[in-house]
Amino acid sequence: MSHHAHTIDAGSIPRLPASSLFAKLPIIGGLVGLGALGAALATGMGAAETRQQLWHSYLVAYLYWLSIALGGLFFTLVQYATRAGWSIALRRVFENVAATLPLFLVLFIPVILGMHDLYHHWLDHDVVANDPILLAKAPYLNEKFFFIRAAIYFAVWIGLALMFYRGSVAQDQTGDRTITRRLNGLSFVGIALFALTTTFAAFDWIMSLDPHWFSTMYGVYFFAGCVVGFFAFLSVITVLMRQAGHFGRFLTEEHQHDAGKLLFAFCVFWTYISFSQYFLIWYGDMPEETIFYRLRQTATWQPVSTFLVAGHFFVPFFFLMSRHVKRHRFGLLGGGLWIMLMHYVDLHWQVMPNINSEAMRHHAGHGFHLHLLDGLTFVGVGGLFLAAFGMMLGRSTLVPARDPRLAESAAFQNA
Amino acid sequence: MATLKNTINPADFDDVDYARYPDQFDPVEGRHPLILGNPSFQSVTNDVCGPAEKPMPFGWWVLFGTALMLLGLFGISIGYLVYNGTGVWGLNNPVGWGWAIVNFVFWVGIGHAGTLISAILFLFRQKWRTSINRFAEAMTIFAVMCALSFPTIHVGRIWLLQWVFPVPNQMGAWPNFRSPLLWDVFAVSIYGSVSILFWYVGLIPDLATMRDRAKTKLKQIGYGIFALGWRGSNRHWQHYEVAYLILAAISTPLVLSVHSIVSFDFAVSQLPGWHTTIFPPYFVAGAIFSGFAMVVTLMVLARKAFQLEHMMTLKHFDNMSKIILLTGSMVGYAYAMEFFIAWYSGNPYESFAFINRAFGPYAWAYWTMITCNVVSPQVFWFKKARTHIPTLFVVSIFVNIGMWFERFVITVTSLHRDFLPSNWFYYSPTRWDVASFLGSFGLFFTMMCLFVRYLPMIAIAEVKTVLPEANPHHHADAEHAPAAPSTAVAH
Amino acid sequence: MKDFGLLAEFTTTSGVYHACEKVRDAGYTVWDAHTPFPVHGLDQAMGLKRSHLPWVILVMGLTGSSLAMLLQWWVSVEAYPIIYAGKPYFSWQAFVPVTFEVGVLFAALGAVFGMLHFNRLPRHNHPLFQSKRFERASDDRFFISIEATDPKYHPEQTAELLRACGAVAVERVEA
Repeated sequence: MSHHAHTIDAGSIPRLPASSLFAKLPIIGGLVGLGALGAALATGMGAAETRQQLWHSYLVAYLYWLSIALGGLFFTLVQYATRAGWSIALRRVFENVAATLPLFLVLFIPVILGMHDLYHHWLDHDVVANDPILLAKAPYLNEKFFFIRAAIYFAVWIGLALMFYRGSVAQDQTGDRTITRRLNGLSFVGIALFALTTTFAAFDWIMSLDPHWFSTMYGVYFFAGCVVGFFAFLSVITVLMRQAGHFGRFLTEEHQHDAGKLLFAFCVFWTYISFSQYFLIWYGDMPEETIFYRLRQTATWQPVSTFLVAGHFFVPFFFLMSRHVKRHRFGLLGGGLWIMLMHYVDLHWQVMPNINSEAMRHHAGHGFHLHLLDGLTFVGVGGLFLAAFGMMLGRSTLVPARDPRLAESAAFQNA
Repeated sequence: MATLKNTINPADFDDVDYARYPDQFDPVEGRHPLILGNPSFQSVTNDVCGPAEKPMPFGWWVLFGTALMLLGLFGISIGYLVYNGTGVWGLNNPVGWGWAIVNFVFWVGIGHAGTLISAILFLFRQKWRTSINRFAEAMTIFAVMCALSFPTIHVGRIWLLQWVFPVPNQMGAWPNFRSPLLWDVFAVSIYGSVSILFWYVGLIPDLATMRDRAKTKLKQIGYGIFALGWRGSNRHWQHYEVAYLILAAISTPLVLSVHSIVSFDFAVSQLPGWHTTIFPPYFVAGAIFSGFAMVVTLMVLARKAFQLEHMMTLKHFDNMSKIILLTGSMVGYAYAMEFFIAWYSGNPYESFAFINRAFGPYAWAYWTMITCNVVSPQVFWFKKARTHIPTLFVVSIFVNIGMWFERFVITVTSLHRDFLPSNWFYYSPTRWDVASFLGSFGLFFTMMCLFVRYLPMIAIAEVKTVLPEANPHHHADAEHAPAAPSTAVAH
Repeated sequence: MKDFGLLAEFTTTSGVYHACEKVRDAGYTVWDAHTPFPVHGLDQAMGLKRSHLPWVILVMGLTGSSLAMLLQWWVSVEAYPIIYAGKPYFSWQAFVPVTFEVGVLFAALGAVFGMLHFNRLPRHNHPLFQSKRFERASDDRFFISIEATDPKYHPEQTAELLRACGAVAVERVEA
């Protein structure tokens, strides 16, 4: 464990080599993504029932990859706000993840196309007119305001992501330290805006799938998922990058250890938030609230709920507790991939019980099932996300070349 | 090959301390000095041990005297209460919970800042915590003592308090583990115990320092007993560091869980304004908010009285007020969520509860809360405010007033007007409610005064580790110093 | 009078760090370094193995949680079953808070008492306290003590080694 300065040649600031698999992501991801999405649309657009399935599957896939991008934006903001030193070497990775957010504006179009299948409860004027509860919230839950809010969310997210990305990349050329200061100041405002937009996006896009239900915690719950999903993704990328050696001596076991610690901590945080929500609703036992969990305790959904608890908390908790696991390449890779899977289960579990909810309430309904469209949309959106991410990775250096604290990051060590 | 070095410049963030000590910025570390005035290990020892070895300043006597009087008042009000019963308080139908529960939550909340500074900032590798963690941990323990006294006395027949615990008794009765009130008993007493353990573990090396400096046999034996024979052995430090790290790692979820369990007292009910899923993290954020404000209040006084301004610096206040702003904003976020969802739910009882808060008979309490909690911390967006001592002092007191009112508003407004209008009534405290509350400050300040009188109020050994000389690879000439700090910092 | 060993004083962190590396490399096993604060990297410089305390803490924590869950189950299902708010006797959800808290308590007790056990503290009498210079071990000086029971110990040669490492003072401590 040497404490001495790394003698690093300024010319050795790493860039993504053209031979790397990551450099091929734009092509591979793009083709696979578009292909899968095309197949999904072709398969799904036929009958009304498959359309229901298509839009719900798409929504899950969209929210999944969006939550990772949002997590990346959040973490970029936090690292600037806290003037962190350890993460500088990795920061370009999070900035690149966040910089894929413009893609999600385009990918939102299918959600709009599917609106009437997804949000039919509050979009159908006849239904709303006869339901006093829906009438009461109609000033918020109506088509026009829904679009206006979505526009605001994307404006804030894309605006922040690009401001931070551009500032960081500009600093590569000029080494201008005032950029660090400016982004530090902007990050505080950014965090406040992020909190509000993410919360209301969760209300609009997920919570309103069942517009009779409500929970003040829901925004925080979605946020917890974003951060967990992002750290899982980051852990995987960190391990793969280290294995490929693209970062040279800028990315060490120490950074990987820290990514693992953050993943562990936010798994626990996610558990705390989701348990709190569940627990208070369980204890109060009020039907207008408990319906959410009742729907997820039917014969087919109960095993998924149990699996979610076991897999999203107990398994990662005991697995990632160990220092050795976090520092070991396959340990953290396995942990990251597992949690990426569990994050999908979480979102699927949140969205899917709303398919044909009338049928579920009155009959045994559809229950939990996996459908080809789940896989196609997941690969579709994911492929395009990875394509965008790969494209961003190749466009600049892999580390912020002239960040004032880069040396500190390269040399930091855990206790 | 050119050596890569940090190029951050002190002027980049124009910290106030840098302006006064420009030659102390470490360009390699890229951080400001955490202790000003070119300290040595010995000067740190002398500065921190000094107050406990010299006569106390006049201000200490004033505070101690006042605190003792208030402690007496506390004793009297508890005695009167126990003798006459809880009817001496202003409780009525429907407001069966009043100042006692508000005070309980208030004090527990204040305690949380200490654990956050000790444990959570340790996990985040924030070196600046070392000047304030001892002080804050002590504050936690005393705040928890004050907190626990309220549920103890509010049960009415406190001579039967043992039945709260799961011990066999002549009735074959056992406590109800499904009740949040019982969870509180476990949570808060365990929080107190673990805080004492964590605080004590941190104290051991410093007690050894006090023992080795003691001028009288009595002091030597006194400090020596509790120092457990500590001799700075590195084999011991190894196990010690592990214990400290893991205590920090488990104290973090402990803090989150304790105040979440306190929030369950309200949230597991079915009452509008109480039953809402965001309560756990909202209460935790509020607790940290009020706790940091109390730390700021106390630190402004202590650093002046004991000449520790070079160790509890303006940079520390800068960081603490940022945390106050952050947690205050989280509290504001929770207010907004409650309000929005109360409307969104379409539930008339929920909407009424919130309209009643803002415009009903307790509107005066509600708007005090909003002004103190949401408005006053906004001044901390400005660096000048974050490093201006009078502003810090005033705002921190406002925050604590606001947070007391928040618990008051939550408790009383939901109770005094719930589902059945014929049950509605107004609640006012009696003089004994007020006396108990003021008296609890007596307990708190008495303990704080005794603490600074006899124990080192800054963690001496920990502070030494943040000095550049503590790094075994530190060289006298900073130019040749390595780019690697021994542990990374973020602040 | 029997010897306890030698005590060498150093004035800087790097001094004691490099001295420890030399003492470790020279093959001594019954020795220790004494510092006023934990020095980063000194464990490796001394060649120490990692502490087993984390395992103790983990076991204690799991024990505490299990005992708490067992207690609550027994009280709520066997000893005093009461239907409360329509909830089942074994309301595991409601048992989570206490289970978690007691687990943390046991883990904390494990950390503190485990640490004291591994350190064999309290030990209020120790030969090193006889040294007046040693009082600065809790202030601003660093020490290395090599005990006479070490196989490689030799009063003159060991003292020579310590002086060569940069000690400003070497004294013999009686047992």
